[in-house]
Amino acid sequence: MQIRDLPYSDPGTPDVRSGLRLLLWLGRKQWGGQLKALGWGVLQLASIASFPAVAGLAVTAVVHRSGSDLALAGVAMAVVTVAVTVGDTMLHRVAVTNWITAAARIQQLLARRTAALGATLTRRVAAGEVVAVSTGDIERIGWCVEAVSRFSAALLTTLGVCAALVAYQPQLGLLACAGMLALALTVLPLLPKATRRAEAQRERAGRATELAADTVAGLRVLRGIGGEDLFLTRYRQASQQVRHAAVRTARMWSFIEALQVALPGLLLVGVVWYGTRLALDGHIAVGELVMVYGAISFLLLPLQLFGEFAMSYSFSRPSAARAARVLGLRRPGEEPGAQADDEQRAAASYGAGPREGLYDPLTGLHAPAARLTAVVCGDPDAAGRLAERLGGHPASAADAPAVGAEAVGAEAVGAATAGVATAGAPDGNASAGQQADASVPPSVLLNGVPLDTLPLEEARAAVLVQDKDPVLLSGTLGELLNVPSSGRIGAAEALNAAQCTDVLGALVQGTPDAAGDPMRARITERGRSLSGGQRQRLALARSLITDPEVLVVDEPTSAVDSHTEARIARELAELRAGRTTVVFSSSPLLLDRADRVVFVPGAAVAATGTHRQLLRSDPAYRAVVTREPQHHADASREQVRARTNQRDQRAQTHQRAQTEGVESA
Amino acid sequence: MSPESSSAVPENRRGPRQLLPQGSQGRNFGVPEPDYDPSAPEDLTILPVGSPATVRSYVRELLRRHRRTFALLIVVNTVAVVASMVGPRLLGGVVDDLAAGEQELQLGRITALFALALVVQTVFTQQVRLRGAMLGEEMLADLREDFLVRSVGLPPSVLERAGTGDLLSRITTDIDRLADAMRKGVPQLAIGLVWTALLVAALCITAPPLALAVLIALPVLFVSCRWYFRRAPHAYRAEAAGYAAVAAALAETVDAGRTVEAHRLGTRRVALSERRVAEWTAWERRTLWLRTVLFPAINLSNMLIMGGVLLLGGVFVLQGWIGVGQLTTGALLAQMLVEPVGLILRWYDELQVAQVSLARLVGVREIEQEAGSGAAPGGKEVRASEVRFGYRADVDVLHGVTLEVTPGSRVALVGPSGAGKSTLGRLLAGIYGPRRGEVTLGGTELSELPAEEVRRHVALVNQEHHVFVGTLRDNLLLARQNADDAELWAALGAVDADDWVRGLADGLDSEVGSGGLTVTPAQAQQIALARLVLADPHTLVLDEATSLLDPRAARHLERSLAQVLQGRTVVAIAHRLHTAHDADVIAVVEDGRISELGSHETLVAANGPYAALWRSWHG
Repeated sequence: MQIRDLPYSDPGTPDVRSGLRLLLWLGRKQWGGQLKALGWGVLQLASIASFPAVAGLAVTAVVHRSGSDLALAGVAMAVVTVAVTVGDTMLHRVAVTNWITAAARIQQLLARRTAALGATLTRRVAAGEVVAVSTGDIERIGWCVEAVSRFSAALLTTLGVCAALVAYQPQLGLLACAGMLALALTVLPLLPKATRRAEAQRERAGRATELAADTVAGLRVLRGIGGEDLFLTRYRQASQQVRHAAVRTARMWSFIEALQVALPGLLLVGVVWYGTRLALDGHIAVGELVMVYGAISFLLLPLQLFGEFAMSYSFSRPSAARAARVLGLRRPGEEPGAQADDEQRAAASYGAGPREGLYDPLTGLHAPAARLTAVVCGDPDAAGRLAERLGGHPASAADAPAVGAEAVGAEAVGAATAGVATAGAPDGNASAGQQADASVPPSVLLNGVPLDTLPLEEARAAVLVQDKDPVLLSGTLGELLNVPSSGRIGAAEALNAAQCTDVLGALVQGTPDAAGDPMRARITERGRSLSGGQRQRLALARSLITDPEVLVVDEPTSAVDSHTEARIARELAELRAGRTTVVFSSSPLLLDRADRVVFVPGAAVAATGTHRQLLRSDPAYRAVVTREPQHHADASREQVRARTNQRDQRAQTHQRAQTEGVESA
Repeated sequence: MSPESSSAVPENRRGPRQLLPQGSQGRNFGVPEPDYDPSAPEDLTILPVGSPATVRSYVRELLRRHRRTFALLIVVNTVAVVASMVGPRLLGGVVDDLAAGEQELQLGRITALFALALVVQTVFTQQVRLRGAMLGEEMLADLREDFLVRSVGLPPSVLERAGTGDLLSRITTDIDRLADAMRKGVPQLAIGLVWTALLVAALCITAPPLALAVLIALPVLFVSCRWYFRRAPHAYRAEAAGYAAVAAALAETVDAGRTVEAHRLGTRRVALSERRVAEWTAWERRTLWLRTVLFPAINLSNMLIMGGVLLLGGVFVLQGWIGVGQLTTGALLAQMLVEPVGLILRWYDELQVAQVSLARLVGVREIEQEAGSGAAPGGKEVRASEVRFGYRADVDVLHGVTLEVTPGSRVALVGPSGAGKSTLGRLLAGIYGPRRGEVTLGGTELSELPAEEVRRHVALVNQEHHVFVGTLRDNLLLARQNADDAELWAALGAVDADDWVRGLADGLDSEVGSGGLTVTPAQAQQIALARLVLADPHTLVLDEATSLLDPRAARHLERSLAQVLQGRTVVAIAHRLHTAHDADVIAVVEDGRISELGSHETLVAANGPYAALWRSWHG
């Protein structure tokens, strides 16, 4: 594998049973490169190791006053130079290639896994882990995989040099070998501890950075209200703590370094002392003494490589474990076992239900085909959950992404991500909802077909749910709006319907090289350079372009001013004419445009009608929508609240049961 | 024998590097620069980047501040290096004596000297490492603290216009990039230079003719380094930016999980990630090529030095110009040169790359801090008269707006997006100064007052309810630093937040944000409101204050907000008509002008645009 051939067309199926297995798998996948590195590494080290022999040759030649021997040493020197140069350069090339191919492979695997997990990855712990693997862990994993070859080369060369020393000069050779062994054994045990310290210090530094970032992020608040000094003092303290911790870590490393000077130094002193005595007794020549001295100095190099490998391994072990964990994440339904859930959910939903449009058996919500249905919920969180349910395959139903059961530490992720938020069961069968985890909420029906039984891709194509906080992906506006779509609605039309004219203006101003073409204007990450209202309108335009059979939008205009909202409401109704649309909102401007409005104050539909009808007939509805503190509405509002509370309690009980389930599992 | 080969692989790619536009370079052989440069800026850099002069003067200042630590490092390093040269010197003596056929060496004395030198070398090597780290850490700490000191002094108008994103990336990414350069680069470079100089000097002292070998190698080293350093910094920056882009693409896919799934963008995101991998690895190939040229050159010059010393020295010995002992010492010293030369090359590289990040950090110093006139406002009424204002010199957003806000009254600004409501609100809050006309507070020009003075009178309340990482107490104290607990509780009580805070195990000392308690958006807003109660300005400008909240949470908060508003002058930028309804005066802003002005009843009766909207709202 060459770097120019990257990315891999197929990064393979990783062995995620444990961190070590993942490392081994990565090594196996590029064994050719690893072998090459081993070969070049041996050449490099062997030629470096032979330099002392050449030096010894030269000194011997000089001592013997032999010009021709010196010339011979010169030739040998030239050969060694070429060998070192070639070996060093090629080793570097192959080692870097190994590092990069391993890193690229994991990046690709991560990208694929992330895309497959999709919405189920929104839980913070799992999401944070994925990002941590991508930003920090991969470097270390690649380093460790690559260092194996250099380590092996160092090991082979060291054994070779030791063997040569023993064969050449048994007493000195044995002394050297024993010394090396002692060196390796003294320094290596210290490394894991030092590594841990370095890790801890990194974390502390990370927290200080976080503190600084936090202060800067809230700078407008600080400048607007005050408190700069308070936060500066706080940051200075954190910064100084980092400094002290770093110096403490450095102290530990400095001792290791001192040890690495002292121990080989002692060996050298011993060799000089013993070797000189041998030379005095006439056992060895002067040149040989120089040669042995040089050989011992050389052995420090492989010794460093041993240290580096030990370090890379102790740094990468937790990283590899985390990577294996993340790559082992599965979404419910991806694993064979989870299918039973789907079928159960599907089975539960068969039976009653209209044969057209979108129908939710849980709340009784029905959105007739080719109509604009508005939904008013008593509780915004319930609205979010209901909207999600309407798309089928709800990510939060089985909530925690099921984890490859064998993956190391899977329990930790599982437990942490199991902040369960199952939609509450309807009032009628409350006891059923409480009693067992086995009770799976029934699937939403699209034209009578349970959505959960459709393949994910198909379900998403049929129903598009735009949640309350849609994310604008960075890139140009053209890229943002280039989504899989029916092709019926053009970008201009959708942007116009979502009242994006001023957004386009702002975008063009922010991107001078777009040459006035808004489609080439850049949107920064999450659209941070835009206001909340502008972001909402772009997201709505994107969903309109998709033009799905069913479009579900949750509070699409909550940050848009009334003037603009009124226009959007009109355009939305026109553009979606003949298509099924569900809008969750409590704004009269939007509700007034809907063909029908469904009021879901608690866990089930309470009333259906047009906005004006409901305004007149349902005081609870009126209270929610107009936010008018009405005396006669108060009673019903209390009622709503009581009902909501009840449901909340139930959800909590349910959650507790599930959490316990996870813990005991 | 280059030390890079053993350590450069992980080190070279730790911490992403940054951009610097440079001319295109040698494209004719080897691996040319890839066309796509991930380090080229895509967004406007809004805040200035330090000029070379500013950077230089800052570095000088930094070194001056730490000159003692620096001097100490040089001293201990010199001692360590000198001690390390004792071994070769002694061995040279031994070889000399042995070659001369001496039978009686003072082996005990030599061994003792050698051991003593070793002890000195060990102790001082430990000190070099420690002092180096201390110097690096002190400089790094200074750098990040200096930056934050500068940042918190920025005028609100700069923050408002530039946003905090650019600052944020400077304090996180750029500090990160500088970390290694500061904590290792500066000390190691200093060590390497001293080390090399001492070794060359020792070589000259041992046997001056041997220094010739260094002279032979120098041109090779010089030419290759020149070639390399002309190309390397840009390539490394692009490479690092490319690698960061790989991670960024993935992070975005994770963050946008729901959206990606809903819009079926999964395969596209994978394709994007793979494109980023291809872009990144293209630059890896480029830098690998640069090193493929540099490494042999360095190896060659190392070998030229060592071989030169050995062979030239051999000839010199045969000629009788120097002794065998000198040759031995010289050869061993030449071997020792490899390490410091590698050190210099490696960190010089890193420092060049870090320079750009330094320029970005230092750039904040070039922003003018605001100069307060020291005047105090002589009243509470805010007045805008004939105000013209635009974000760019040639385009005005407001075209002659006049508005009087009488103390204690409530003014609502309504109108379509982009009409200039928020801009007007920011002018009234003293964040921007008008291009023409004036905005006054009690007769004093608002834009002339420093932020510290303005905020005692007027506060802008927007959707940014930043809750700082730390204790709840810190989060409140910022508004009134000398407040006692009773005052804090009173403020929480005033916004209806005392109940949930009392419910927390640690009360005011509860940690919020990262790692601590996660507050809901509604609670965050309550905290923001409690701060206002503590800060106690007489006039508030509300901009979309509750618009991003869920309606139900908003309703609860409106009660808290009502408490805060009591007895204050309020200018509300109203997105929702029910907010406007209660105002004393409603100003309809359209196209940068106030098109309608009056109370709700007046405007409904006038049957203009406001009336139309109200009817469709209220049904």
